[in-house]
Amino acid sequence: MNLGLSKTLVQRGLSAHAAIGLLASALLYIVCLTGTVTVFYEEWQRAERPDAPEMQRIAPDAVQRAVASVLASEKDRKATEHLYVHLPTDALPRTTVTTDHQAVHVDDQGRVVAKELNGWSEFLLNLHYTLNIPGMVGLTIVGGLGVMTIALSLTGLIAHPRIFRDAFRLRARDRGGLGLADWHNRLGVWTLPFALAIALTGAMIGLGSINVYGLAQGFYKGDMEAAYAPIFGAEGKPNAKPAPLADVAAALQTMTARFPEVRPIYVFMHEPGTAGQQLQVLALPQRRLVYGETYNFDQAGRFLGTVGLADGATGQQVAASAYNLHFGNYGGLPVKIAYLLLGGALCVVIATGTSIWLGKRERRGYRQPRLRNGWNAIVWGSGLALALTLLARLWIGNAAPFKTIFWLSLAVLVVLSTALPERYRVRRALQWSLGICVAALVPAVLGG
Amino acid sequence: MNQPSLLLWTSALLAAAAVCLLRFSWGKALRSAPLNAAAWGLLAFALAMGMAGAGAWGVAMVTLAALAMAFSCLALAAATAPPGKTGASNRRAHMLPEGQEPLRIGGRMVSFLLSVPGAMLVALILGLAARGAAGALGAHEADGNVLMLFLMPLLWAVLAMLILLWPQRRRQVGLLAAPALLGLAMLWMARP
Repeated sequence: MNLGLSKTLVQRGLSAHAAIGLLASALLYIVCLTGTVTVFYEEWQRAERPDAPEMQRIAPDAVQRAVASVLASEKDRKATEHLYVHLPTDALPRTTVTTDHQAVHVDDQGRVVAKELNGWSEFLLNLHYTLNIPGMVGLTIVGGLGVMTIALSLTGLIAHPRIFRDAFRLRARDRGGLGLADWHNRLGVWTLPFALAIALTGAMIGLGSINVYGLAQGFYKGDMEAAYAPIFGAEGKPNAKPAPLADVAAALQTMTARFPEVRPIYVFMHEPGTAGQQLQVLALPQRRLVYGETYNFDQAGRFLGTVGLADGATGQQVAASAYNLHFGNYGGLPVKIAYLLLGGALCVVIATGTSIWLGKRERRGYRQPRLRNGWNAIVWGSGLALALTLLARLWIGNAAPFKTIFWLSLAVLVVLSTALPERYRVRRALQWSLGICVAALVPAVLGG
Repeated sequence: MNQPSLLLWTSALLAAAAVCLLRFSWGKALRSAPLNAAAWGLLAFALAMGMAGAGAWGVAMVTLAALAMAFSCLALAAATAPPGKTGASNRRAHMLPEGQEPLRIGGRMVSFLLSVPGAMLVALILGLAARGAAGALGAHEADGNVLMLFLMPLLWAVLAMLILLWPQRRRQVGLLAAPALLGLAMLWMARP
């Protein structure tokens, strides 16, 4: 298949592809790398806290006891506004209660047994979501990188009109840049459906805040919650008057009796222990992309209705499908492994893109060893910096300053790599260092 | 195995077969339009079967099966292909000056401002206009809002690409100004 584009358009497509790539590639590579590692978010949490009690299911009464016990332990603090109970799933067979103040694991009797310690997993997720930049800014930048990925995919097709025709040719061994170009183009073409799906859903998630702000200003008198409500449902009216704790056990029993085909995975309580408290159960339907359906209950645990994420308006179902499609947690371990490989391939596409551009300049006589070393530091140094944070998790513990370690070590690696004279083999040194770190990590992570 | 599972497995196998057929067709010295059409048709049929078997989830699974087969073909090519005899392309991307060419920092900054914040703002206006139009046409509120959430990044990407494809500055500005004005007019008409 040849796209039949004019030479001028192809040349402009290449310029546009290179412009976007060079502008976004460093941050895009970090987001893509961390996204690939984040596919195993649940497994990382298990590795971080291997001694937490695990179970295939938990009895409704035990969940009720756990909620009551956690809230009782917070009597001397400001009342929590939200409480979440993570129920056992295949990927994370644990029960964890999270409030505004703490997160604890409970055993199958509902007894609090251990504090949740998943600082590294949370750091990793935050790095992927926001590049550790607080507030809307980080999220919007990452959303913008999703947009740039879509633009890169489109301009890549324009810049390479023979890309489909050569889709199965891969001269893997590099010779004068040919192998590198083949890796970039072949992996680029075959990751295209994945890249577009990931980029669009990622952009939708990342740009959600400013888009909903726009929706709120345009159609909901500035009320952002009102803009979200038609999609994800509305929160009830708060009423701080004390009231008995909602009957979580009755709600879970109702779920088992009335909806045996779905698996409850979360219990949400808003303003627990007040007259305005709201009780919801998030349950996962089989063979769906949606992250779940929200079942609403009254304080006595009587079923009120669903929000419609699984069977409501098309928009609700599409929005609820974006998250699982993005993170690859809709088909168990096989899909996670597929996402790991596809994410890895996307990292290779990004890494080789800038290397190809540098190689072309070198072949035309414009050698830029510092720029090349700097790019090598991004490609290999990002993985190395991430590995260092995980080593810090093992040696220092949950309270290790992961953000500082990651960004500081990456900055040092980039500065050192660009400053060192050309005779130093920066890439080889970074590859060896990464290899040693990974070799040190594998037994520790797999062995718990 | 129940019927949806059987349908899904069959569609996954058909998708993998479609990729193999594409590999065979594209590997021929002369391209065969009927073979190409058969491969793409088989892939479309497999995706439709996946949709029938398990909706969007089924489509995602069938797509992964097709990609797995494509990567297997690529792995085989990587292992067996001899090194290329010709050199790689040296096409210039015109990103950095060569020789005595000027750096054009100002021009590059303007291109950045037009294609990143400029295109984002216009995409936001158009997205909101689409939401307003959807509401005026009686669409469900959730459908309108989600349409906006997905349309905005897509439009931003397309606008950024078009700006970079059109080097004339006047055209670039027009490319943003015309849809922005149209979007603002639609928003004004659809205001609550």
